[in-house]
Amino acid sequence: MVFRKANYKHSGRKRYPMTSPSKDLEVQDRKYITGSLKDTEESIKAILGENDDLSMKHFKIFGQYHAAIFCFSDLVNQEVMNKEILKPLMYVPEHLIGREKPLTLLMDIIMNEALYHSQAGTEKRIDLLIEALLLGKTVIFIEGLKEAIQIETKDVEKRSIAQPETEQVILGPREGFIENIATNIALLRYRLPTADFQVKTMKIGRLTKSTVAYCYLKGIASETVIKEVEKRLSEIDIDAILDVGYLEQFIEDNPFSPFPQTQSTERPDRTVANLIEGRVAILVDGSPFALLVPVVFNQFYQTTEDYSSRFLMGSFVRMARIVALVFSLIFPSLYVSFISFNPELLPTEFAVAVAGGRAGVPYPAVVEVLLIEVAMEVLREATVRLPKQVGGALSIVGVLVIGQAAVEAGLSSPITVVVIAITTIGSFATPAYSAAFALRMLRFPIMILAGIFGLYGVVIGVIFIFNHMLSLKSFGVPYMSPISPENYQGMKDVVFRSPLWWMPKRPGFLHPQNQNRLKKNDNTVLKHNKVGNDQREEKSNGGSEGNYDTPGNNDHY
Amino acid sequence: MGDPKEITTLQATTIIISTIIGVGVLPLPLFAVRAGETGAPLVTLLGILLAATGLFILTYLGMRHPQKTIITYSHDIIGKWLGRFCSIFVIVFFYILTGLAAREFGEVVVSAVLRETPLEVTVLVMLLLACISCRNNINVFSYIHNFYVPIILAPGLIIVAFSLKNSNLLYLRPIIGNNFQDMAAGTLTISALFQGAFIITLIIPSMKKPAKALKASFWGIFVSGGLYLLIVIATVSVFGSEEIKQIFWPTLELARTTSLPGNILQRLDVIFLAVWVTAVFTTLFSSYYLTIHSIKELCNLKDHKMLTYFILPFVFIFAMLPQNIVQMYKVIQDIGRAGLVITFLYPGLLLLIDVFKGWRKKRSVVQKS
Amino acid sequence: MLYKNRNVQLFLLSVLLLPILSSCWDSQEIDERANVLAIGIDVADKQEEKSEDEIAHLRDFSITNNEIFKLTAQIAIPGRIPLGPEQTGGKEKPVLVVQVVGHTIEDAIINLQQEVANELFLGHLRIIVLNEKVAKQGTQRFNDFLRRNPEIRRTASLVVSKESAATYLKVSPELERIPSLYLADMVDNLTALGKFPPSFIGLFWTILSSKGQDAYLPYFRLKKGDNLELNGLAYFKGDKMVGKTNPADIGIFMSVKGIHRGGYGAFVKVPGTNEVVVVKAMSRRTKIKVSLKDGKPHASIKISYESTIDEKGNPKLLVSNSSLLKKVEKQASKDVVASTKKFIKRTQRVKSDVFGFGEHFRAKLPHFWNKKIGTKEKWEDYYQQLTFDLQVETHIHRVGMKAK
Repeated sequence: MVFRKANYKHSGRKRYPMTSPSKDLEVQDRKYITGSLKDTEESIKAILGENDDLSMKHFKIFGQYHAAIFCFSDLVNQEVMNKEILKPLMYVPEHLIGREKPLTLLMDIIMNEALYHSQAGTEKRIDLLIEALLLGKTVIFIEGLKEAIQIETKDVEKRSIAQPETEQVILGPREGFIENIATNIALLRYRLPTADFQVKTMKIGRLTKSTVAYCYLKGIASETVIKEVEKRLSEIDIDAILDVGYLEQFIEDNPFSPFPQTQSTERPDRTVANLIEGRVAILVDGSPFALLVPVVFNQFYQTTEDYSSRFLMGSFVRMARIVALVFSLIFPSLYVSFISFNPELLPTEFAVAVAGGRAGVPYPAVVEVLLIEVAMEVLREATVRLPKQVGGALSIVGVLVIGQAAVEAGLSSPITVVVIAITTIGSFATPAYSAAFALRMLRFPIMILAGIFGLYGVVIGVIFIFNHMLSLKSFGVPYMSPISPENYQGMKDVVFRSPLWWMPKRPGFLHPQNQNRLKKNDNTVLKHNKVGNDQREEKSNGGSEGNYDTPGNNDHY
Repeated sequence: MGDPKEITTLQATTIIISTIIGVGVLPLPLFAVRAGETGAPLVTLLGILLAATGLFILTYLGMRHPQKTIITYSHDIIGKWLGRFCSIFVIVFFYILTGLAAREFGEVVVSAVLRETPLEVTVLVMLLLACISCRNNINVFSYIHNFYVPIILAPGLIIVAFSLKNSNLLYLRPIIGNNFQDMAAGTLTISALFQGAFIITLIIPSMKKPAKALKASFWGIFVSGGLYLLIVIATVSVFGSEEIKQIFWPTLELARTTSLPGNILQRLDVIFLAVWVTAVFTTLFSSYYLTIHSIKELCNLKDHKMLTYFILPFVFIFAMLPQNIVQMYKVIQDIGRAGLVITFLYPGLLLLIDVFKGWRKKRSVVQKS
Repeated sequence: MLYKNRNVQLFLLSVLLLPILSSCWDSQEIDERANVLAIGIDVADKQEEKSEDEIAHLRDFSITNNEIFKLTAQIAIPGRIPLGPEQTGGKEKPVLVVQVVGHTIEDAIINLQQEVANELFLGHLRIIVLNEKVAKQGTQRFNDFLRRNPEIRRTASLVVSKESAATYLKVSPELERIPSLYLADMVDNLTALGKFPPSFIGLFWTILSSKGQDAYLPYFRLKKGDNLELNGLAYFKGDKMVGKTNPADIGIFMSVKGIHRGGYGAFVKVPGTNEVVVVKAMSRRTKIKVSLKDGKPHASIKISYESTIDEKGNPKLLVSNSSLLKKVEKQASKDVVASTKKFIKRTQRVKSDVFGFGEHFRAKLPHFWNKKIGTKEKWEDYYQQLTFDLQVETHIHRVGMKAK
């Protein structure tokens, strides 16, 4: 389903001189099979013959016609090849016994009556057939026919679906994407059994020929965004797309900004939720991440869990996350400005004690904080790279020992260690890694500003960052919407996570074509709570009459 | 302007609010009390009303020419050369206003918080911030204003709320002040603090619905004026008029007197001043933007981005001109009052001529038919 | 164009910003600041006067207000006060007490800086102790510096001491690690406990500058064993202290001022018997009306108390009787009227309008005020002629947990 024939034209459109053997392949460009098995065999071997994993077998179709079957033995499912391809071709099926099988009708008979495989096709051009081989298809040449059969038999080992590592939740689905794009699309389709769900694929990468799929809900996602995605994707011309992150760097609006302008997620449920809001998801074969565009800043501190849990809980957790976000950005710089510029803000008892704790530290607070922060970054990076068993030990030992030792050696004051610890923990509380990273990075310039101007510098730095964020756009959508420019419907889901029945519309800043989420704007959910309404005794399903369905998605029920 | 017309009425309102509220809040009670003693709130109210009248005239004028700013429609109304001549005054006035606002805030920061940091540096940092932000288009301009409004309103309201426990209502009486001549002069000074509202002329051409500009002006002046009035009432009721006369920045002093319950932070003035950077930034941003955009339109330039850096040194030099803080405040008051000619009389005159022209045209049309 | 290049732009910008980045003018680490926690001001004696060196001015430079005074400062020593809960041991004094003399505060501070290695920092100045004698000489000369300096908190406390202010800074109360903080907390708590009307330096200044009222400050006395006692209320005429009350009168003062929170109890004789009960004011409401009687200012004051009976002297006396309560109420009111009258008369004698009647006249009778008064001095004269009538009501609603 993904490997549509039409797509080959796309990737075959642009060709540049490269080293052989693909250069040899170019010689074969637009050449057709001659019908002679020997010629074909030779020309394929000339290009791919040095590969030991290329297997070739001669056999006779229906015991009559000479044929050769080619495939990369490690790339295909041998069982399928033996049972579904070789068996019906070599061993004349029962319903064909006794019938005449002339060469002219052979292809028709094979394709329509003999072959037990759904994804089989014919092809005449030899370069395309070689490409098909490379993508894991099995190709059968028949003596005397100017057409070859190609059959999808790719079977690459894939991971089983596991819990997403980067986006853990307590409540909610546990599935995560895997590297195989077919599985990923299947995961999406199974959540969106609607005709509106559209998947478009293309091949990007001259060497990797990665399948890139962009998905959206027709009638919900904005046409301009879809067109823009298509345009930006088709303009990419690179040798390799190994991960969705490669694409991100080509399609984002402002590559110099520290802030992510696309969101990558490992979670199918999150992807679907975003599709329903009107976003476009981009998937790449070989990457367990989906890229969501357009994005706004507030979605980086939201998780799917917010919506799975009850709204009070979701709102509370979200606010805690916002506090963490603010901490991770400005806490150390606030500390610096309090200590070096405005100690009068601290309660006297505490200020005097802090002064005591700092006595003997040779550096100004800025230098001290910067030193520890850098050490912390190194430690964090080390923990990520190290094997799990070692990493766990290092992080605990590192933090405890280094912190303690630094305090005892008089390199830093105990309060500094506390401040850095809170900051680091705060930066972990941001669910989106890329956004957390942006704030982590921006912490340093603000710290330096705080070292020069104190609180004044902190505010200047923060204004600078906000101004930048306000001027950013992701696929035409202002980055800070729905806060500014304001959008009333979207605002219900920024700091608080309003109850689902308070949000009858999709966020308008994405300019969805269809705004309605609930059937009616006024909700009937709370009716069953009203005094004198004894529905509960009569009806078992309460007052909520199941109007959560999205128009166009009615077959859900 | 190549930008799409996307500014909503709310955004226009917030632009006006955040442009008006600026560094002027800090000495505002002093100006008001000097003019009206205990009648300070009344003086403030009169000043707001005067400013509102000017703003409504300007807005109405803008709504009659929904595609143009005052720079361009003045050409249509009073002729190309006279229009250009007057536009130069508008530009120079806002150029001066930018410099003075930066200087005034720098002066406050240097006196109150960063006592050893050179004034030049604090002023330059503020100007750079505004200058770099000015490179954005008018939509981003409105997003920025829209975003900061809560941050601007909150500290003022918090301080007013927490200072209530120290307030003494006797200080507010008698409500009508004693000297009416001073009060009239004070009214002019106060209404000069609202000159930032002139920015509406730049916004109207980019509004989604220019017809709603009057609504935006009303709410803009209502909210900002309301905050100003509240602050004056709070400071006068806490300090009394006599004490205020002794303080340069009574609003800042109000922040110094109030403490948060539970002593989370011992002093609010430093925090207040830090957050107030935002308010000053938005004001500066507006007048800077107005200046360069007007120059752009006057000279028919295509892009304003390079102009932002070009203007910067001149604004900075002007900001450094006043010799000391006393002279600076004298300049601010004088320029402010003189500016009323530009922000009040000039649009008023334009409107009169415009209405007259329109009336004559209508009549000639009627006569012809 | 060269400027179109982003790298060039960035480079130019960073060259421009480099001088800014390389300096931090105001940065002063907290442990390098000498935190002045409290200062005390005394009159200097002749011997001390000579000890002033020629720092801020030469000796023959004449300063108009030539009264020299002695400034004692308590400075926190970084490192002596441990972070976290107090460890046992560490008997060293955590603060440094330094004495200097000077003609003005700034003069004294300059002299002080000369003796202290770290930069003096006044942001944590919580309390200023004025010796009674200094207060009587006038406080105006200290205010200018304190108002001008942005480090000074407007919420710092200002108190008057009976003994020399220096001794207050030298005492070491057992309850707090830092002595001056004990003092500061004590003053701050006075208001919360209803023992004293709100009083901090900012309020003192405000009252000082307003035309129709005079300032007041808490008056302290040293007791045995380094303990302090709130010994009364010092009242001022202009910037000069002119007298003090006894502690019991503070309650009276608060009721005339209209401070809602009550905290004082008083013995009240039960009429017709020899017994006494303690009536404690819980809250009060005060209304002051001003008028002109024959061109002379007149104030009518109406105070109503909400009180409880805290204690009674004799077990035989039963307070479970409503009519008895009424009697007690009446007697309590009578007592208050008597002491209030006495108090007001006393302040009238020294022309010190601590109650702020003048503000009522200024606010409510602006015509009279503008025509006849206008200045603080004039009002002080008028205050002497102020007539007043007093109405006090006491309501006892509760008698505590005991039924009898």
